Amino acid sequence: MIIEHHPADEFLVRIAAGSLPGGESLLVSTHLEGCERCRDRLHLLQAVGGVLLDEIEPATMAPDAWVRTLARIDERESRFGGAALPLRAKASPSPPLALPGGMTWPSSLRDCKVSRWHWMGPGMHFARLSMPHDPAAALFLLRIAEGRHLPRHTHDGLELTQVLHGSFDDGRAVFGAGDFDAADADVHHQPVVTSGGECVCLAHVGGSLRFDGRIAATIGGWIGM
Amino acid sequence: MRPGVMPHADPPPVAMRTNKMERARHRMAGPAARPARTGTSHVGVASVTSAHRMPTTDELNQWMRAVATSSDRLAFAALFRHFAPRLMSYLRRCGSPDAQAEELVQETMVILWRRAVTFDPAKAQLSTWLFTVARNVRISHLRRLAAGEAPAASADPCDQWDADLQAADQALGPHDQLLAAQRERGVRRALSVLPADQARVLQLSYFEEQSHARIAEELGIPLGTVKSRIRLAVAQLRRLLDGFDS
Repeated sequence: MIIEHHPADEFLVRIAAGSLPGGESLLVSTHLEGCERCRDRLHLLQAVGGVLLDEIEPATMAPDAWVRTLARIDERESRFGGAALPLRAKASPSPPLALPGGMTWPSSLRDCKVSRWHWMGPGMHFARLSMPHDPAAALFLLRIAEGRHLPRHTHDGLELTQVLHGSFDDGRAVFGAGDFDAADADVHHQPVVTSGGECVCLAHVGGSLRFDGRIAATIGGWIGM
Repeated sequence: MRPGVMPHADPPPVAMRTNKMERARHRMAGPAARPARTGTSHVGVASVTSAHRMPTTDELNQWMRAVATSSDRLAFAALFRHFAPRLMSYLRRCGSPDAQAEELVQETMVILWRRAVTFDPAKAQLSTWLFTVARNVRISHLRRLAAGEAPAASADPCDQWDADLQAADQALGPHDQLLAAQRERGVRRALSVLPADQARVLQLSYFEEQSHARIAEELGIPLGTVKSRIRLAVAQLRRLLDGFDS
């Protein structure tokens, strides 16, 4: 899998800094899961965080900080046992809904609640995702059949898309499995699923999409996009 | 916001080296408690006593190993003295009120203690590892607050901090691991030669919990400029690191 479209550095900086909001951070994390290039950059940016931490001017702690830390350790050890704690094993999550053959379900979506597939047009389905700690995040899965296209639209806010399976072409470029896209108000596009099977995308919609056609806009409003 | 800075504040009291927490706490209860040399076999004890010198990477790693392999509280105290005031400063600058920042520093240090065994100096510098721990502790805390949950009583918070945040961090290929150690040595050098405007934007991104739009406002530059400076900074860092390697 050759990944050609990556999140811009400012996304990776904000992931490293821990300041990217839930929905966007889920999209970027899903990308990172499959992209060694971006993981490599993230590690660099985390190292930047480490150096900045080392160089920051130390602040004064409360006088009892040390004692309270020890008490906390005591308390934790009495409840959960000794210090050496194995990392929680990450069971590879089973997909909560039917997927095209050969598609794997990203671990990053492990904790999301996922609705069933809803019909939104011939060959087009969507599902809603919700994150436990950010239930308001507008997260969707789109499953579009080969040759089908989403209605032409532009965006109020930023629309992030991570391709999980298959590929689409929106006139700007072809986006294949593993690719990431950020589309803002400057992008007016009509994604068409290219040959080679169904396309499944994870999408986060900041603001709302503005569909050109009235019927498309009605459907968009109805499904919450 | 500028954190209250007292570079010569007393180092935190240091526990005697013992595995019995109760005894440790009794002995260090007095304000005059200071680290004791408990024997030459002990890793890094001598350096624990020099309070105001920046510990070397090797010392930090040795202390961490001592915590991991023998629950060494003196080594933990040394790590606490170095990192806790820096974590405090970091968390305040991210916008945590003092009481919350104190809590989060304590929690971060508890995770350092309980998770020391998972730290691998071949993969990351300790300060980088701890930065990601503190960042995740902070995010988890804010998420729980937003969801109106009390801090979990039933689960070990150590298990939670990484459950949903570490997926991306952990998938290190062998290629990454090889590069990590040398890369991180170069980062400090690279950061120090970054043009001031790029370094400033980068620093604000990490420490002030500001959206890039807010940073643009504060610096009086367009949002696009913030983004392009970040791109330039990252590209420059990468270029400098490549240069150091060769």
